[in-house]
Amino acid sequence: MPFDPTTEPNRRPPAEIDRRSLLKLMGASLSLAGLVGCTGSHDENALPYVRQPEGVTPGIAKWYATAVTFCGLAQPVLGKTYTGRPVKLEGNPDHPAAQGKSDAFTQAALLGLYDPNRSRGPRRLGTPVGWASFRRWATENAAAMDRRRGEGFRLLTGPFSSPTLARQIRALLARWPLARWHILDDGLFTAERAATQSLFGQSLTLQPSFDQASTILAIEDDFLGPGPRQTLNAVQFGAARRKGDRRMQLLVAEAVPSATGAVADQRLALAPDEAATLLRALAARLGLGIDAPAPGSQQEAWISKALATAAQDRTLLTVGTTQPAALVKLGLLINERLGALGRTLHFSPSPFESLQAESIADLVADMAAGKVETLLCLDTNPVYHALPDLDFTAALGKLPLLLHAGLHFDETAARAQWHLPLQHDLESWSDARAVDGTTVILQPLVRPFFDVRSRHGLLDIIAGGEGNDDRALVSGTWRNAWGEAFEEKWRAALFKGFVEGSRPETLSPAVRDRSLELETKSPPRQGLTALIRPDATVWDGVFSENAWLQETPKPLSKLVWENVVQIAPALAARHGLADGDMVEVSDGHIRLQGPVFIATGQADETLALTLGYGRAIAGGLSEGIGHDAGLLRRSSTPWRCDGLTLTPLGKTVPLAFTQPHQQQEGRDFVRSVTAREKAVETDIAAADFYPPRPPQDPSWGMTIDLDLCIGCNACVTACQAENNIPVVGKAMVAQGRAMHWLRVDHYTDGPGDAFQPVPCMHCEQAPCEMGCPVNAAVHSIDGLNLQVYNRCIGTRTCSSYCPYKVRRFNWFDYTAGDADSVQAMRNPQVTVRSRGVMEKCTYCVQRIEEARIAADRENQPLGEVVTACQQACPTQAIVFGNIADPGSHVSRTKADPRNYTLLEEANTRPRTTYLARIRPEDGEG
Amino acid sequence: MSDFSRQADRAITEDIVSIPLDFPHPRLWRLFFGMSLALLGCFFVSAAVLFVDGVGVWGINIPVNWGLAIANYVWFLGIGHAGTLISALLLIAGGHWRNSLNRFAEAMTLCAVACAGLYPILHLGRPWLFYWMAPYPNTMDLWPQFKSPLAWDFFAVLTYLIVSLLFWYIGIVPDLAALRDRAKSRGRQVVYGLLALGWRGSGRHWARWQQAYRLTAAIAVPLVVSVHSEISLLFAAGPVPGWNSTVFPPYFVLGAAFSGFAVVLMIAIAIRHPLGLDRLVTDRHLDRLALFLLATGLMTAYGYLAEVFDALYSGEGPDIDTLRDRLTGTYAYSYWAAVIFNFLPLQMLWFARLRRKPLLLFLVALSVTVGMWFERFMLLTTALYRDRLVSSWGEYSPSHWEWALFLGMLGVFLTPYLLFVRYLPVISAFEVKEAYRKTGRLEDA
Repeated sequence: MPFDPTTEPNRRPPAEIDRRSLLKLMGASLSLAGLVGCTGSHDENALPYVRQPEGVTPGIAKWYATAVTFCGLAQPVLGKTYTGRPVKLEGNPDHPAAQGKSDAFTQAALLGLYDPNRSRGPRRLGTPVGWASFRRWATENAAAMDRRRGEGFRLLTGPFSSPTLARQIRALLARWPLARWHILDDGLFTAERAATQSLFGQSLTLQPSFDQASTILAIEDDFLGPGPRQTLNAVQFGAARRKGDRRMQLLVAEAVPSATGAVADQRLALAPDEAATLLRALAARLGLGIDAPAPGSQQEAWISKALATAAQDRTLLTVGTTQPAALVKLGLLINERLGALGRTLHFSPSPFESLQAESIADLVADMAAGKVETLLCLDTNPVYHALPDLDFTAALGKLPLLLHAGLHFDETAARAQWHLPLQHDLESWSDARAVDGTTVILQPLVRPFFDVRSRHGLLDIIAGGEGNDDRALVSGTWRNAWGEAFEEKWRAALFKGFVEGSRPETLSPAVRDRSLELETKSPPRQGLTALIRPDATVWDGVFSENAWLQETPKPLSKLVWENVVQIAPALAARHGLADGDMVEVSDGHIRLQGPVFIATGQADETLALTLGYGRAIAGGLSEGIGHDAGLLRRSSTPWRCDGLTLTPLGKTVPLAFTQPHQQQEGRDFVRSVTAREKAVETDIAAADFYPPRPPQDPSWGMTIDLDLCIGCNACVTACQAENNIPVVGKAMVAQGRAMHWLRVDHYTDGPGDAFQPVPCMHCEQAPCEMGCPVNAAVHSIDGLNLQVYNRCIGTRTCSSYCPYKVRRFNWFDYTAGDADSVQAMRNPQVTVRSRGVMEKCTYCVQRIEEARIAADRENQPLGEVVTACQQACPTQAIVFGNIADPGSHVSRTKADPRNYTLLEEANTRPRTTYLARIRPEDGEG
Repeated sequence: MSDFSRQADRAITEDIVSIPLDFPHPRLWRLFFGMSLALLGCFFVSAAVLFVDGVGVWGINIPVNWGLAIANYVWFLGIGHAGTLISALLLIAGGHWRNSLNRFAEAMTLCAVACAGLYPILHLGRPWLFYWMAPYPNTMDLWPQFKSPLAWDFFAVLTYLIVSLLFWYIGIVPDLAALRDRAKSRGRQVVYGLLALGWRGSGRHWARWQQAYRLTAAIAVPLVVSVHSEISLLFAAGPVPGWNSTVFPPYFVLGAAFSGFAVVLMIAIAIRHPLGLDRLVTDRHLDRLALFLLATGLMTAYGYLAEVFDALYSGEGPDIDTLRDRLTGTYAYSYWAAVIFNFLPLQMLWFARLRRKPLLLFLVALSVTVGMWFERFMLLTTALYRDRLVSSWGEYSPSHWEWALFLGMLGVFLTPYLLFVRYLPVISAFEVKEAYRKTGRLEDA
């Protein structure tokens, strides 16, 4: 049956399965299930040792430097392993692009490794086969290709930065000159490349230095939001905001509320077309010789404020990469006029190796013309990700042989004759570059769990090789590059996690062409405009099988497990819509159905849609959730879709929020001060019936700087990984049973939008401890509010009494049914909780104890303890430590006049306190 | 002792003791007993599901992590209070009219306390470890955490159960002997005989009995006040706006007596006619009970007012917000249902004429029972669903397994109660006789 988008909303064409292949698939699943039952083979090192191998001490963690890739770029990490099992990833502190920090995607990559829905072995026509049989085919194919010089062979990859992969592909193309290589690009850097090409005559990568800027103007640029640069940007943003009196000013203009807009000193809501107007007006005011229509009064005010602060010092203007290249180029010209080039904005050669590949459009044209015989999709899923107007799926019908290599049996795999499972980054040898261009050598933290190959090994097999020595393939690249110094540099690179000195010199390119091809008038629009963005938690779908990320709340809406049609209050009022009402979004051809979510601060006639949902075949977790907003994308405008209609469907579905209420209702949970008068006012005198206890050393405490929090969820996911926190699913979250120990509250009516991470407050006068009848909630001498799981009988009094509602209850046995692989992932230092017990943030007591034991053994004073959330936080908003030591970082932050207590009137005297946000001076904001 | 009074004695004994030996409406009883067994089955099924799957089968969540279970716990325990109040307090205070009511009221107390005691255990995350609340010698060297109101709860309910059982059993021993003496079948003679503990009605027996009964009554009297005061602390001791109020202990005790009198009234009206006890449970008794209902009801209403005043007078934002949530929030229906069911029909009891209409009294009492249930539910949910921190606001709706357990718990209440009505003397025959001798009037007995 041909796929009809008018009858099948939300989905791309499902795999066409006839009766015969269905039976085959069923047989395959049965036999696979049997196989799994028999062997249960994961990491053999996880068995208890009979004879202990040298250099491995059970219970002592080992750290390895490596990286996980995201959008083809390396996110440098240190992997913590216990007896061969990776249990936690942390940003590589030595790597300049990570500086020890990470984002939620990187934290959740650990689950990606252990994902029970990963593809476990090669399949031919859906039937499991051995690699030997694929190698037989590959050898024959290689011989045939050698004869025919590669005619009809095509390779399709995503964007990547691995020099080894590039070397392999180049070698293959040299050997088979008629073979061709195509790329399915995510389009994140397209505008940037085109703009630099036009302006400087060379395609470059922008390297903004937010930490050098005193004023940042961001136009339609969510640079603090999710993306491959998020960690580095956030690290720099944090540094810039921490500069005390010379605190950086951030002005944002955007159509859809974003994390960047939420933390801005001034945010302007723009219609999507007004970004151009604003930029032109700004350029005109700066004397760039551009005629601009007069901007609206709000825009005028924004520009005046921007210029007033910009004039003072170093300024940086950023334009989002989702904007047309001409606007990005205009942005670069404004930066030039502001003197930003070379000061706050640098350029570097692109870290990507995949730039030489031909476009996927050429591939589709050749497929349709019958010129392609064999297509290998290497770690890419074109059936789901190719823009619909390319009609890749239709062209597949004319393709004789499709090979798919990927981590999951996905939409493309279902259409492929051969499906070849790939290794996760954490179990493979590879190399990649980080956003700043620094090269990272990826080394495996663990032997592969399943019968899988690396991308390098797979290409080696395609070329007729054995494909089983990835290390040699990767080191071969660097042996050629380094020559004599190889051994030394290789060891150093593996040890440090990156190749020292590989960061490219920043360039100061000369401006060649200032001409601008701007549309002088924005075209008249009919209907609504949708802005289509990668999702904040599952990105474009690469993470849709990751349960941690599915359950990570979207930073602003706090929704989980689905995507929505996000609309402005005015539009909602016009159609009489409320959160959860189903609507249909249509461009006349494609129809998407989804629930609406109303976001304050969104431009009126604009819809915000996110990618990554509406998966037909993905592995098992995410199928059938949400709608595929990618169906509305067009090659000409991949990030927006105009002329849409919105039709209410008259149905309402429940939405799963981790935080249903996002207004403060007139209370002051998030407090703010102005930069001038920094002290938080309090009129509550601490009262205590008992005499004060003598201070203990150490006394643990925490501060969270609300001026630095960008709501990125890195802490939430880090906590989930560190503390074995289970995933409970959409229905449980909707019922108010999310398990995250650390939540990031979001309020839309604070001083602007505000984020407030809420871990356990570790109250000195804890109501929970008073309530527990069985001594399960007790206080430690160093001030921790402990929860003793094996004493807990589940009366839940502690949670009833907790004013902060930070306690989480095991309503069911959430952990017993975990797949073997997920059990292997658990942090052995943290108890796995059973049904019926209460749990909550422990201040990472296992880390405290580890430090204490080490100090006791060495007879040294207790060193620094870093909690998992603090470790991950890219802006360093979270500070933890010993408040009895006046010199400690946390003592200094507690002495800050911005320090305040949440719900001070409850007189619980929490050890976790907050530093107030800094709002613009009255009259300025 | 005159023949007349002997005759009267015999007639009273006959009226009461003949019921278990020759039950007047066996088919009606079987019908009701079958229904209560069905409810009991519902209890076992819903408890089994609960134990197998976990407390997650209920609709509770964070923030409302106590639900129907705790509301019903308080409700059942409150109902039980009237039994003790009527028996012990009036025994010591010398209210002779209690003698026609105390036995079945006490039996009601026992059944209600059993139901109430089951709920907190069922609601635990790990119910098989409930005994950790008890101070028993254990390898962990742990005692209960005595600062917790739940530890007090444990002792309160256990004490209450034991004292009520003792009081009821001591009270029934002489009547069991009467049953033994009149039983025709050998089986009954043996069973009643064993239960009667060899009672022969000698002067020494009566003297010892008087001591034991009065002593247990003296122990039970403070429990009337203390148990429900303590239960209220489960709420009042927590720093939760809407709970943390000193008005709670008296408010709970009065509410308990109020709901208890309602249930006693319902039972009295329900059983007196079918069991042919109209001579012993007279309209005058109903009138007295109705007056008590009115009095405790008005005191409970005062508690409502005091609570509102308390919140407003404190000037504390969170308390006032909770008050507003009660009056207008998601669960406002439970507040207004409590007010209407509790206090509106109650006003009819001001009129002596209406106090002697059994059907009307029954309906008023039913309304109060329902109203008090809404009050327990309201107190629980309205405080929890919107706590101080707005970000953790959330709503709760009981799942069908919670309702099933509630239905089943009615079976747990009714099944033993129906057995009691069928096989034991529902009224204390000897105490009625004693009162009759003292006052010479059955109405006062």
